[in-house]
Amino acid sequence: MLCENCQQKEATLHLTQVVNGEVTKCHLCESCAISKGIDVHATPLDLGDMLKNLKEKLAQVQPKPSDAPPDSSAACPGCGATRTEILKKGRLGCHQCYDVFSAEILPVVISLQHNDQHAGKVPRRASAHLKTSVESARLRRELDKAIASENYEQAAALRDQIRALQMEAPSP
Amino acid sequence: MIPRTNVLDTAEAAYQSAFGVTLSSRVRLARNLRGLPFPDRASAPVRAEVRRLVMEAARDVLPCQDALSSSTLLARQQLFESHLISRNLLAGSPETAVCRNLTSTQAVMVNEEDHVRIQALRPGLALQEAWADADALDDVLERHLDYAFSPVLGYLTSCPTNVGTGMRASVLMHLPGLVLMSEMEPIINGLNKIGLAVRGRWGEGTAAIGHMFQISNQLTLGVPEERIVADLTEIVKEVAEHERNARERLKKERRLQMADLTARAEGLLKAARLMTAREALERLSELRLGIALGLKRRIPMATVDRLLLEVQPAHLQAWAGRALDGAARDKVRADRLRAELGGRRTKRMAKRTTT
Repeated sequence: MLCENCQQKEATLHLTQVVNGEVTKCHLCESCAISKGIDVHATPLDLGDMLKNLKEKLAQVQPKPSDAPPDSSAACPGCGATRTEILKKGRLGCHQCYDVFSAEILPVVISLQHNDQHAGKVPRRASAHLKTSVESARLRRELDKAIASENYEQAAALRDQIRALQMEAPSP
Repeated sequence: MIPRTNVLDTAEAAYQSAFGVTLSSRVRLARNLRGLPFPDRASAPVRAEVRRLVMEAARDVLPCQDALSSSTLLARQQLFESHLISRNLLAGSPETAVCRNLTSTQAVMVNEEDHVRIQALRPGLALQEAWADADALDDVLERHLDYAFSPVLGYLTSCPTNVGTGMRASVLMHLPGLVLMSEMEPIINGLNKIGLAVRGRWGEGTAAIGHMFQISNQLTLGVPEERIVADLTEIVKEVAEHERNARERLKKERRLQMADLTARAEGLLKAARLMTAREALERLSELRLGIALGLKRRIPMATVDRLLLEVQPAHLQAWAGRALDGAARDKVRADRLRAELGGRRTKRMAKRTTT
């Protein structure tokens, strides 16, 4: 894949940004990344730092006392964990926390994992519908990549595969 | 006594080529039960119920089951040294457990950070096989357990660093060549950049005791298990190649220093009367290097590998059959090493064997 900025060198940095819940991706070569002020040698995976940065960001967007009260005390119905507790510990309380606090958790997951879609084992007892949805999500990601790298032949094949999968998918 | 041979016999050569650099492969899968809080936030009755469910589900395939709260600290330390339980479970908190198969190559930890932590261990570089074992074990458990799973984020875990496959694949490597040639640091940096973690088996970073390192994947989301395993296998082969290369250069360029280093290690292991665990691991590692370089042909590498586990505090006490304080352990450890490696026996030891 070529760098989006100079369109000349191979893109070696693949960044995922989340702004107001919108996920944007950008692919750059090392020199363009440096010229844009991105720390190319940053060690990517430090949950402590991530959470610290996240907390700082959250603190900045905290409404003033006169505004609506912050719901940092809102608790997960599954386990009673609050947003503050989760951010402090870096651990979720139960699987429902992933849904309840998805606005905060998803960006953390994406910045830690550089990915936002599971590709891999699905519980054997899971419904055929669930298996299909994981597989088609995986194919859609491949399709995005193929389009980004202008590999239209592969993109067309992937699109056909996705269609075929949707056609044969049983309703949930 | 150590058998005396002048040529490297085929069994020894085979052992060294299989395990000389890569000692073992491990795959761990994190799973949680749907509808129940993760262990950290679960009440005692919920944790107890999780334990009952998991132990029941694992009974047929993992018949050795220890409720850790009712085991002794020494027994737990031994499980920890054998890598069967994590540091978190050492405390023996109520409602924790470990279930193992008869050979301790497969295990499930219950109520660690996640409800279920499946582990499969294989000797040498065999990540594919370890993943196949863990996958099969997971299938068995899943027949009885309803896992928390999302089509987007995969297996849901207490820590977001494990979400997705819940898989950590790791390999234990002995890398004295790279450390002695000062090439370990750039390798660690390079591996970190491609999303792999490098930890000392005992101790951190390049200061790893006994030149033992664990290399594992960091990313768990968006990459299928087979890919994680295949990618890591390729990288490990490359690192092993670098290590063999470094060993060759040590042998050619620093032969005298290597002969000195390994002779000193052997001398200390065979003559010392007191030895700490740290010193034992360091000297055994140097001796192991000497064996790999062909400088120490009389000692089988397998003996050194067994001793690397057996000189650790809990294993040593289990062998002695009694609890020992630090100073007593250092003496028993030195005695044991001398006896195993054919070193000098003390009068009392000689008397003990004759009576």
